[in-house]
Amino acid sequence: MPDLFSCLMKEEWRMHSTMFGSISFALFPVMIFGIVFMGSFLLPLLSVAFPAGDLAFLAHASFLLLGFMVGGFGLLGNEMMNRRFGQASLLVYSSRNLPLSERFIFTNFVVKDIVYYFFLWVLPFGGGYIAASPFLGIPLSRALLLLLTLSLSFLLGLCVVFLLSSLYVRSKTACFLAVIVPGIAGGVYSAWSGTNPALLFPPYLLYSGFSWMTFLGISIAIAALFTASVVLFSPEGTGSTRTYGRMLGRLAKVLSFLPQSPIVAKDFLDLSRSGIGIGQALFSFLIPLVVIWFFLSLLESSLPPHGLIVIFSLTTGIIASTIYTWVTEFDSFGPYSCLPLSVSTLIAGKMTTFLLLQALPAVFIGAVTGMSSGPEMVAPAVVLCISISVYAASVMAFLCGLFPGVLVYDVRVLFTYLVLDGVALAILAAISFASSLYAFLSVFLLVPAYLFSRAAGARWDARDTAGV
Amino acid sequence: MAAVIETHGLSKVYGDVTALDSVSLSVEEGALFGLLGPNGSGKTTMIKVLTGQVRPTGGYATVLGLDAEKEGIRVRERVGIIPEQESPPSFLTAMEYLEFVGAVRKIPDIAERAEKWFDILEFRDKKDVLCKDLSRGTRQKLMFAQAFIHEPVLALIDEPLINLDPLMQDVVKEFLIDYVRKKNTIFLSTHILEVAEEICSGFAILHRGKLLHAGSVADVTAGGGHLPGFFLSLVRKGGHA
Ligand SMILES: Nc1ncnc2c1ncn2[C@@H]1O[C@H](COP(=O)(O)OP(=O)(O)OP(=O)(O)O)[C@@H](O)[C@H]1O
Ligand SMILES: [Mg+2]
Repeated sequence: MPDLFSCLMKEEWRMHSTMFGSISFALFPVMIFGIVFMGSFLLPLLSVAFPAGDLAFLAHASFLLLGFMVGGFGLLGNEMMNRRFGQASLLVYSSRNLPLSERFIFTNFVVKDIVYYFFLWVLPFGGGYIAASPFLGIPLSRALLLLLTLSLSFLLGLCVVFLLSSLYVRSKTACFLAVIVPGIAGGVYSAWSGTNPALLFPPYLLYSGFSWMTFLGISIAIAALFTASVVLFSPEGTGSTRTYGRMLGRLAKVLSFLPQSPIVAKDFLDLSRSGIGIGQALFSFLIPLVVIWFFLSLLESSLPPHGLIVIFSLTTGIIASTIYTWVTEFDSFGPYSCLPLSVSTLIAGKMTTFLLLQALPAVFIGAVTGMSSGPEMVAPAVVLCISISVYAASVMAFLCGLFPGVLVYDVRVLFTYLVLDGVALAILAAISFASSLYAFLSVFLLVPAYLFSRAAGARWDARDTAGV
Repeated sequence: MAAVIETHGLSKVYGDVTALDSVSLSVEEGALFGLLGPNGSGKTTMIKVLTGQVRPTGGYATVLGLDAEKEGIRVRERVGIIPEQESPPSFLTAMEYLEFVGAVRKIPDIAERAEKWFDILEFRDKKDVLCKDLSRGTRQKLMFAQAFIHEPVLALIDEPLINLDPLMQDVVKEFLIDYVRKKNTIFLSTHILEVAEEICSGFAILHRGKLLHAGSVADVTAGGGHLPGFFLSLVRKGGHA
């Protein structure tokens, strides 16, 4: 096991470092560390507006979200692996020619991914805060505890989604029940007791008051979820040979008013037939956002009126922008390269698919806003959410072309992305807090969005099509 | 006769690997031209550079009178390509993949043309099966059909016989011979020397990115020689140089 594991680690390192150089990749955690270290000095300022407890709570919610976003391993049957990494043969395939079981290799693969994410995100984040703590008069033990509980948040989120996604591949009904039953139970409990279920989030409880029992309980829960996920994971998916009538041509005709309609039609068939569309919508969108809603709603008292829905619209917008990664990451571009299609054409096609899929966040945020804040907030919330999503996705297309999932680990890319999005988010949050009507001003983001996606085509056409 | 493909001092360097080293080559219209060479000699790279998928780092190439580097899209509009190892998109059926190619290439009668190819390559029974569920050989047939479906005047095909059974290899060889009779040109990369000797008119040998030889097959076989022997002696010599 140690051999396979270290080979997988090396492979991952090389995959990233050949794409944009070892330095850029190695600097990634250093940058996260730096940002958090500097950011920590803002804490005394922030705590004027926000109780310190709220900030810690928010940090836990973010790491839970990070865990959710990377936890969909159960979806990674052979087919998905293939798409995520293209034709290049990777060690995860080696059960085909090595005397090792699929499950064994897969487990190693997942652990490797967790370790990578831990070193890239969780540790530098905690480390930055720990390094800043002496200057802020925060006891070291508190800072260390935060690192521990944030790690637990991350792992818990990851394992829950891992389990659900493994269930999903086995049986959609079982997965549905596993989401609905605890959902209803939580709803009933919070209605009955009047407490927000997010307050019972175990890692946050542990942070608020450390006890070995709680720590042990959480660790056992994580281990149990992880084991169950690995046991349930099915590498093959459905085995039968599937046939379909001719749908692509007809769909492309229906969509022919759109630019690049064949590509868009292909994307839709692909997302629906592979199950990636529904899987991602569930695990990378709906479930994380519903849970985050409960967390954010606790901050309502510290926020201006409508502040909660503004923050939630922006969060949904950022998550919705990652729909661009669903439509690019799970496609392989080899088969296009022998056709007269330029990279800019492909990016335009993927952006069109992305824009159509924005119906999902639009309906979602509309429904949540309608239920929580009343009909007058629906329009501003939808406009705010979709504008930021389209803008962030265009920035991503510009910076990463067709490979957002990999290139985001290039420090220069991430830094530019954070600055460009951060500025837009800060301005929009500030003006929308002032008045919900100002949220409509976010449509002006569509101008830079348009320019970024145009520039994305030109930028990525200038590189080798088959060179990556 | 006019040259369909011309390269001048064409080079491609990947980091510290020189995949193509100043290759100057010309392929006449109507030729069934074989590009031969050991593994890693630069055959696939050559096809990618000629079709604008990869930029050369030195020299230039014209294909059908177009600059391969600057007008890659126009080159790919006019030629057909079988890539080395790509598979068709997993979640389209064989028929839908050809429809997709037809939509991109703007072929109005794509359905009729596709039907013809299911017969030629004998995979009509698989036309509604998802590509991911097709056997390796059937995928290769589909990639073959995709490259010729718009009847290009030039096709650049990388190891087209791979994974095909002997009967199907014969069908494909017959097709290629017949295709160049209609004044079309084929640029075929392969390391099956017997096949090259059997069907090619002209050939070139690449070795470590360098052009070792270019000429006609008839010249080699005229004195009772054979392409495999010629190739081996040349490459072994080249290997020591
Ligand atoms: N994208 C790439 N990055 C770096 N090196 C590459 C890349 N593609 C090819 N090479 C290198 O270029 C050289 C030529 O490769 P190429 O694929 O053109 O050879 P080939 O003649 O087609 O070989 P084969 O007969 O095995 O298919 C090889 O040394 C290969 O390692
Ligand atoms: Mg090759």
